Amino acid sequence: MAFEKDVKAAQERAKKIKLFGHDIHGVLTSNTLMCDIEGNRQYGFWHMDGFADLSLTANGIGVAYLDTTSIDGEGLFRAKELKLDKFYYSVTDKAAKVEELKKEMNIGDDEVACLGCELSDIPLMKKVGLAIATADAKDEVKAVAHYITAASGGRGAMRECCEFILRAMGKWDGWVEKVTSMGYK
Amino acid sequence: MSRAEAAEKAKKVRFVILDIHGVLTDNTLFYTQNGVKSEGFSLHDRLGIKALTESGIGVSFLTSKISRADEQMAKIYGVPPERLWGQGAKMAKVDEFERETGLKDEDLCYVGDEMIDLAVMKRVGFSAAPSDGSIEARGAADYVTSAGGGRGVVRELAQFILDAQGKWDPFMARFK
Repeated sequence: MAFEKDVKAAQERAKKIKLFGHDIHGVLTSNTLMCDIEGNRQYGFWHMDGFADLSLTANGIGVAYLDTTSIDGEGLFRAKELKLDKFYYSVTDKAAKVEELKKEMNIGDDEVACLGCELSDIPLMKKVGLAIATADAKDEVKAVAHYITAASGGRGAMRECCEFILRAMGKWDGWVEKVTSMGYK
Repeated sequence: MSRAEAAEKAKKVRFVILDIHGVLTDNTLFYTQNGVKSEGFSLHDRLGIKALTESGIGVSFLTSKISRADEQMAKIYGVPPERLWGQGAKMAKVDEFERETGLKDEDLCYVGDEMIDLAVMKRVGFSAAPSDGSIEARGAADYVTSAGGGRGVVRELAQFILDAQGKWDPFMARFK
């Protein structure tokens, strides 16, 4: 099913964001579990999605890994390697964790964004100011989203969200400039 | 930039510096259940790197940190350990290399896929990006490969550079 989204309206929503939440599988991964014949498991993440999380936090936007789908703690392995400031991690109910973070950060629903792909993301997506769905999200998820990325989960969807928000805020060009001049540490 | 203009720049290349993630790999990082990372590399690039080095063009890897996977792949690709550069400050590493070798910016080719690569891409004589690199990297590149990261970027680039320098046919001759 094709979904038409009002990009300008989504950009307006993006301007207010102070917290970005996302789950792990289907969003940061393509939902593929590589399992060898001895039962060893591997999970694929998109390298530049990590840079996206880092870019958001560097621009003052908190990032929350609302991890309800990790099997071996792979979400936390990934997050720990990124060493993010303004980083939150939870394995509990997504919407409840966001409520808690909103109080802690003293922000409203309109200042929260999330990226989702599955039915379990819908309750949170319906509440927040900016709800984004991956290109391969379920139709029900796309229906409630304000914006849909061109990239699928695990193929750069988060990198796209980061650029969308920082561009809407007018911070993207400055950030590119900064990264270019300082190099990536 | 047109192919002809890019080929003019490629003629001068004497050394190729490669970013690893998103260039030699397809951007996917695998984590095992124990938190060990792994990545997918392309064996197509093996012939590309061989063609460059045997034609007298040096190759190095430049990334923020060299992992054991990178060391292993360097052996397979035939890139010597001293050409594995793990340094976050990419510009400083290029400065140092130029001081040591006497090579200049216009002698260098750099391949990168993200905005973190822009500074180096802009200073070198010839820059390239994979087809699935970011808009910024593709915009800054003199040459965009048709291959995506981890799908033979270096194989394609090597042919382009060596063709421009008239060295591709001599290299190919051995396979005929």
